[in-house]
Amino acid sequence: MAVGRRDDRAGQDVLRRVGEASVLVLISLADAPKHGYALIQDIKELAGVELGPGTLYGALDRLERLGLIESLPADDRRHPYRITAPGAAALRVHLDSLERLSAAGRLRLQLGGI
Amino acid sequence: MAEPQAARLVGTALRCYPARWRRRHGEEAAELAALLIRDGTPAGSIARSYLAGAAREWLTPRPGRRLSTVACALLVAACSLGVSAGLLAPAAPARAASTSQARASAHCRPGSPESVPGVISATGCPQVIIWEAVHGRSC
Repeated sequence: MAVGRRDDRAGQDVLRRVGEASVLVLISLADAPKHGYALIQDIKELAGVELGPGTLYGALDRLERLGLIESLPADDRRHPYRITAPGAAALRVHLDSLERLSAAGRLRLQLGGI
Repeated sequence: MAEPQAARLVGTALRCYPARWRRRHGEEAAELAALLIRDGTPAGSIARSYLAGAAREWLTPRPGRRLSTVACALLVAACSLGVSAGLLAPAAPARAASTSQARASAHCRPGSPESVPGVISATGCPQVIIWEAVHGRSC
């Protein structure tokens, strides 16, 4: 059944319910490990979103609990974070899902002729 | 804002986090705040962000956290709100009285205050309760 299939696919996309900040953090960590300040700067440059530090630590804790990122040994007082293999896989699934949604939205806009 | 004041404000916000969180992120979070302040981010907005984060942290269920701890945190928050409301209360009775009288004339039989005993003579919060009890609903 179509609904069942859609639910299954959504079930694989663990990032669907973690919030935008967590997805941005994961995207930022996709190329290299970063600490808090570098993450805030990178996300500002990447997406134009200025994450508050409280939001950032909430997202980091959530992603770490899910096993999608891991904390590296502290460099001075800063903990760099690194994306894990399950984190990279989850990000791929989520980005694929966003691409499908984006394509469907563009198609509908074309069909609507607006 | 002067640097020591900003640091104190952020430090106060960070103290609102659970001890476990402070042990893990406390120093790093203070340093991050200092860097952001240096870049021109207002200390107030950093403190607000940390306060919101602390509230979320307390309210997020954790396996190791006892329910009573969360309940205590909520109780303290509720008491703080109560104190704030108490400080604002002196202005409230007058507003409440005028509101209920306005309701009486606008919603119910105009000019028949006897239909809502207690509303005219009483002042302060109880009259609102009586009013709503008489009507059976909030107007």
